[in-house]
Amino acid sequence: MWATNLRIIGIVLGTLALYTLIANKIPQVQSEVPHALTLGANVTPEQLVAAGDQLYHGAGGCTACHGLGTRAPNLLTDEKGLGPIGARCGKREAGKDCKAYLYESLTSPRAYVVSGYEPIMPEMGRILSPQQLWALVAFLESNSGTVDVSAADIPAASAASGATSGAAGIANGSTDPMTMIRGAGCTGCHKVGTEGGAIGPNLTHVGSRLSAALIRECILRPDTRVAKGYEKFVGVMPKMFGNQLTGAQLEALVQFLSSQK
Amino acid sequence: MVDALHVLQAAADTSGAYRDFPVIGSRAAIWIAAEIHLMFAAFVLGVPIFAVVAEAIGIFGKDQRYDRLAKEFTRLLLIAYSATAIWGAVFVFLLSTLYPRFWAYLTAIFGVSMWVYVSIFFFESFTLYLYYYGWDLWKQGRAKIVHWCLGILLNIWGTAVMFIADSWLTYMMTPPRDITPETSPTSIKLWHAILNHTWMPINIHRLIGNVVFGGAIVGAYASYRFLAAKTDEERAHYDWMGYVGNFIAISALIVLPFAGYWLGREIYQYDQSMGITMMGGFMSWLWVIQAFLIAVLFLTGNYYLWIGMGRIPGAERYQPYTKWLLVVLVLGALVWGTPHTMIADSRELAAMGGSHHPLLGALGVMSAKNTAVNLMILSTFLSFLLYRRANIRQVVPWAKTGTRIQAAMFVIAAGVVLFFGIRGYFVEAIVRIGYSVYQVGAVLACIVFVTVIDVLMARGAQSLGAIQWGKMPPRSQYALFILAVTFTWLMGLMGFARSGIRQHWHVWQVMQDTTPYAATPALGYAAIMISTCVLIFLSLVGFIFWLGGLAEKSTFVPSTEAPHVGH
Repeated sequence: MWATNLRIIGIVLGTLALYTLIANKIPQVQSEVPHALTLGANVTPEQLVAAGDQLYHGAGGCTACHGLGTRAPNLLTDEKGLGPIGARCGKREAGKDCKAYLYESLTSPRAYVVSGYEPIMPEMGRILSPQQLWALVAFLESNSGTVDVSAADIPAASAASGATSGAAGIANGSTDPMTMIRGAGCTGCHKVGTEGGAIGPNLTHVGSRLSAALIRECILRPDTRVAKGYEKFVGVMPKMFGNQLTGAQLEALVQFLSSQK
Repeated sequence: MVDALHVLQAAADTSGAYRDFPVIGSRAAIWIAAEIHLMFAAFVLGVPIFAVVAEAIGIFGKDQRYDRLAKEFTRLLLIAYSATAIWGAVFVFLLSTLYPRFWAYLTAIFGVSMWVYVSIFFFESFTLYLYYYGWDLWKQGRAKIVHWCLGILLNIWGTAVMFIADSWLTYMMTPPRDITPETSPTSIKLWHAILNHTWMPINIHRLIGNVVFGGAIVGAYASYRFLAAKTDEERAHYDWMGYVGNFIAISALIVLPFAGYWLGREIYQYDQSMGITMMGGFMSWLWVIQAFLIAVLFLTGNYYLWIGMGRIPGAERYQPYTKWLLVVLVLGALVWGTPHTMIADSRELAAMGGSHHPLLGALGVMSAKNTAVNLMILSTFLSFLLYRRANIRQVVPWAKTGTRIQAAMFVIAAGVVLFFGIRGYFVEAIVRIGYSVYQVGAVLACIVFVTVIDVLMARGAQSLGAIQWGKMPPRSQYALFILAVTFTWLMGLMGFARSGIRQHWHVWQVMQDTTPYAATPALGYAAIMISTCVLIFLSLVGFIFWLGGLAEKSTFVPSTEAPHVGH
């Protein structure tokens, strides 16, 4: 019986060793934690690019989609003959330079969904700090473009982040509904009048479908009510408008939308 | 907001949010305790399901073999039960002492459900004792039915306990969307937290997975007893028991991927980026390893059946077909294991000539993989069908027509699978995903209808000789060990995938892990941890079963009856 026992032990250990060996032979990819980035006033573009490179290939998780050619546009290599991202970012939106476009694409990705792709990118502002976001912008610009991010942008970014975290509200605190709607990137998904996309429900006549209270609830807690036919986009709408809008802005927006009948 | 969170988190860290465990660190300590507890728990939840089914076959089919089998299953359960509880206690003590802040957060939300959990656990324990120790007392007439109902009650308690525990871990993965880092845990309604996105898919997935796992461990136990048997009769009994364990494991395994699809879909619906992390992000290589393990399971399971045909008179008619089944299984495994969407650096992309390999890229897409796995399932079912009818000759007048209909069903199912597999290359991804439903539907319909026809055809069938239970070469029993080790390892791997997609969050995007172990490790490290856990678990199981053998005789009773013909 000892021979049988030894054979069983050998089979168990051999099987375990085989699986462990195979798992150790394949490429080893670890999910990194995005560590806080401290950039001084004299940070150089090279330092920003290096930090962005590290984030792009590590904790930022960008490579899970970008570069595969199926889920999201290629950024470091050519995309449909337009070249890498640094070469094309300045031409994506009229009146918007590369730097502004990339920063907004990271913080409000659904505002700029490239045709042929789904709006699956998370808002990186919820995951990364402004310093990290600007480092990413610098890295993306460095791919066949000109790096124009500097230390001066970073405090501005912090201020912008502060603005969107509730102090002054969206769109510099404006209570003009359309300014807020555009500033918050709502038209990236929703159609309002003649503007906007078709990813989310059309808001042109939303007042005839929903009461003011329900509209407020949908803005503050987007996933508590899902419009019929849009179930697959649950989770896509950001949940932070309650933090970003001031009280006056929220009420102005609710009143405007509920009047759209 | 992110900066503010970092500050809050740092403040919490300084006030004793974490402690470390000597030598191996707190993450490894929790990993081992949770994993081994889950392995024992899966066993003690899976075995009662088929113990109660076996007892029912014994009662209503009037076949005492199944009653004895059910009792032997339950005896294993009884011994493993206390080990489950011990590892559960180890896990809770480690979690509450190493991660006190996180533990306090969980208890603030789930405290009431934890009290209910221990209450049900109490009832479950005593129901189990009554079930086992009352076996010989309540073995006749109405008392036997009451005893069987105790088995059902045991399953109800066990399932309830699992559902409650699942709510805690699924909340960590997919907390309801209105819960933010600022939400006070005491303000979260219990039912709201329980009813999160992945709760029910995990419940169902684990329910089926536990049956697979229980079957595999019982199979390994039986194979050990087979190898240690001193008489032919004892060998025959444990050969049959091993066959039943393997049959249960493989049958439930065939259904398991469908529960997995549902879970995956819910994860994507909850958060696309979480789904992408799981399938195409840093975990993408994990699925290649999974494919390899599933291939081992299919090949070993089929190998066991094919060897088993050697003990069935009349099976030689079907043996020439097995080599073709092997070809389908091997080709299917190769396609399923082909990588497709992998994280690659620029050097690797250049070497590959693009984001996908020019040749293998076409085989790695889901169209090819779904086709491969469905054909593997069909082949395994065909192996079982050949095994099942090996020693009988059908006598019903429509036997030939029935066999032709069965063959046509296989051809149609394979045709549907291939048609949608090929068509999937020419349509949009969103349309392609829907095709898997047609493929799975065709395979399941084939399995159901072919089985029904086979059962009807077997009525009054002429026997070509009794199955010679016990006439199995030892290598068939070692195959059962490989199955048990692989199932256990696969369970550890899938547990890592489920838990790892939270990345550096205790509760996804609500509570961050700020320990030095927050980064989710690569597959190599995870594999070492999984192998360690499997080794500890199997060693303990071996020890516990050996102890059980010392205390009690086997339920095998030497019989003077003629050897049984059926399966």
